[in-house]
Amino acid sequence: MIKNWLSRYNLRYPRFLVYMLQASEYNIRDYLVWYHKTKNFTRVEQRKRFVRTAKGLLLLVIAWAFLFFLIGTAISILWINTSSLKYIFPFLIVLFSPYFLAYGIIIPLLVIRIIIQWPVEYLIISKAKQKLKTHTAVKIGIAGSFGKTTMREILKTVLSEGKKVAAPPHSYNTLLGISQFVKTLKGDEEILVFELGEYYPGDVQKLCDLVQPNMGVITGVNEAHLQKFKSLERTVKTIYELADYLGEKPIYVNGENELARKNARSGHIMYDCGHVGDWKIENPKTDLTGTSFTLTKNGAKLELKSALLGLHQIGPLAASAEIALNLGLSFDQVRDGISKTIPFDHRLEPKTDTTGVITLDDSYNGNPDGVKAVIAFLASLKDCRRFYVTPGLVEMGLRTEKIHKQIGKQLAEANIEKVILIKNSVTSHIEQGLKEKGYKGEVIWFDDALAAFAALPLLTVKGDVMLLQNDWPDQYQ
Amino acid sequence: MKKTIAVIFGGRSAEHDVSIITAHTPIIQSLLATGQFDVWPIYIAKDGSWYSDQAMNDLAYFTQDNFQAYLARQKKVQILFDNGLKIIWPGIRSKTIQIDIAFPAMHGTFGEDGSLMGLLRMAGIPFVGCDLFASAVAMDKVLTKQVLTAESISVVPYVWFTKNDWEINRSIWIEKIAKLNWPVFVKPVHLGSSIAITKVKQNSELENAIEVAFHYDDKVLVEESVENLIEITLPIMGNEELQLAAVERPLNKTEFFDFSDKYLSGNKKGGGANSQYSEIPANIDGELAKQVEDLGKKTYRTLGCSGIARIDFLVDGSSKQVYVNEVNTLPGSLYHHNWKKVGVSGVELVTKLIAFAEKRFVSQQKTTYIFDSDILKKAGGQKIGE
Repeated sequence: MIKNWLSRYNLRYPRFLVYMLQASEYNIRDYLVWYHKTKNFTRVEQRKRFVRTAKGLLLLVIAWAFLFFLIGTAISILWINTSSLKYIFPFLIVLFSPYFLAYGIIIPLLVIRIIIQWPVEYLIISKAKQKLKTHTAVKIGIAGSFGKTTMREILKTVLSEGKKVAAPPHSYNTLLGISQFVKTLKGDEEILVFELGEYYPGDVQKLCDLVQPNMGVITGVNEAHLQKFKSLERTVKTIYELADYLGEKPIYVNGENELARKNARSGHIMYDCGHVGDWKIENPKTDLTGTSFTLTKNGAKLELKSALLGLHQIGPLAASAEIALNLGLSFDQVRDGISKTIPFDHRLEPKTDTTGVITLDDSYNGNPDGVKAVIAFLASLKDCRRFYVTPGLVEMGLRTEKIHKQIGKQLAEANIEKVILIKNSVTSHIEQGLKEKGYKGEVIWFDDALAAFAALPLLTVKGDVMLLQNDWPDQYQ
Repeated sequence: MKKTIAVIFGGRSAEHDVSIITAHTPIIQSLLATGQFDVWPIYIAKDGSWYSDQAMNDLAYFTQDNFQAYLARQKKVQILFDNGLKIIWPGIRSKTIQIDIAFPAMHGTFGEDGSLMGLLRMAGIPFVGCDLFASAVAMDKVLTKQVLTAESISVVPYVWFTKNDWEINRSIWIEKIAKLNWPVFVKPVHLGSSIAITKVKQNSELENAIEVAFHYDDKVLVEESVENLIEITLPIMGNEELQLAAVERPLNKTEFFDFSDKYLSGNKKGGGANSQYSEIPANIDGELAKQVEDLGKKTYRTLGCSGIARIDFLVDGSSKQVYVNEVNTLPGSLYHHNWKKVGVSGVELVTKLIAFAEKRFVSQQKTTYIFDSDILKKAGGQKIGE
């Protein structure tokens, strides 16, 4: 208790505060939530480190200047004041200085935001909007609680076989991120693929206004970011802002996701592992080498094989194939394009180390649908020991307990041999779900993810398959 | 309640640094990963001082630049062997930890040679790995050959002599060595990790090689080299029932598998000894592999090994003759890279070794070591001969 309280007087406290702001992407609401639940401030900088950006350094300098100002004020009072109360104010200043600093640092952030950031961003976004308005490329917008990056990468790979395609890199899916990317466009692109990020209601609408898509994909709706959306209805509404914008224009909807399917409107093209539009999907297969299936329609047959893992990839792959055919690509081009799709960084990406242990890095997958699909994939693997490593999922709001119990049950049903859990506020629910389904494997606990990662090479042997599910940043405990 | 386990490493040995690596990768890291043990590292410095601090459970403690400065600030510990093993931090705020099991991780002299096992036997606690007798014999390459020869296990022809023998009359030994098939290997008898071993191809190099070996030891072995050589190594674990790892073939860059090949050229991330320069399992025919396995088990039992050991073989590629070269009672990093390939993880490896240690300890407890007699009464009351 005292140790926690004293952590606010650590010399690195100003740096920790700036780090918290930086890791919250300077979102004041997220920063304050994190600040209020933090007990020991020496433990906030664990998974990542403060990055010395101009903004971060400026805030750090301001934080120290403010701290010196507070100390100076306390000393001045001691010096000047002669009354009997002269010790009380300096004492109070010292006592509350960590709090003054924690809240005070928001003021310069707001000032920077209003005076510099917003006008500059407005200018960049306006320019991007103008550029996209005159750009002749087909613009595809992708919205959904999960699977957006995968869909973007599949589309980019497949369509590139016959068209000049561009898409923002990494997870550039905000107004500013997309606008920065638009600056790099040459104007001769034939197709642009955009991932539309959603954190709060209205986000997708704003992105549509910028991107002006003429085709869309809705990958699914679930509890991702539920803490911010408060209810699934609001999430549905936000994601379907893409459908509102597109109106009669083509929009593909993931039929395997219940909420997306239920909210689909007439004219929407559904895709799942059984069909896409008028195409039927036959002979679906998956293993550690990839996934294959056959598209058939009116006697036409298209056999496809991708290096992506899991039957849940068939829907997006088939949808991409259909979009590509509609945009004029040949069967051969589609076949070649699908064969070039490979697992993306940290999304069910297989790696075999020198000792023969296969790691499936799915650390960027932190949503219930993705988890369900991955457990189904693990269940399909035979003749190997399977390890499932997870700290659980974040931002599941009121559905946290239910979702994590469900994960435990799915793991038990899949007979996963070893479940490795990181101690935090949610993983006990996974254990509960395991118990409820009479799990017969072994549960191994670790205090934190780093300890688990260090121990994993010592727990595994040649031929083992180890799935790393989701990764928790520092702000979640 | 967690069992308290002491991992003892370092020591006054040429393989001091290798011991630090073995202790951490995989022993301490695996013990911590089990979550079942309270792990206490006991580090014996090169000057023989004993230290213990759980900060030493992290290998980074020993790899930091100012490690010696940190160590200088550490309080030395005292060890009590009276009815169990206890670590004592003396002083006003003295502390004592009772150790339930010891895990020796010391290579070479004053550790792997049986010295440490002797102390642990005196303390009366279970300890991992070979007991005193097997350790002492295996540490002496000549004694090993003599014991194995008595059991009709093939070893490469050799000559051995002490420093004193050499100094009194070199020419006798040079003459004996000349009768061996050349080239020959000159080796210090008690050293591991291939330290101070020289391959001698001509007479002019011989004396220098022997001098180098005598710098590290007072007993030297000169043995024939095997031509068309296939080096093979086989880690084994168990007390009565033996479990074999994969037959491994070190792939040498240099003419023989030396210290840097074993410990420095390997893939550090893979951990431990030379995983990158080994072929696991060795690409040799099934019959030869079977012969190696049978000979390995026979050697293990002949020397009275228990817990874990690694048997090294020399195979003549043309004649397929298999010789036992030496026995290592604490394989570097427990050869966990090899065990992993046959389905034994680091955690399973240390857990099994602890179970073997406990089983052997229970069995030893059943042996009667004391005997009541009235000889003292007779010695005190009546003079012998009266």
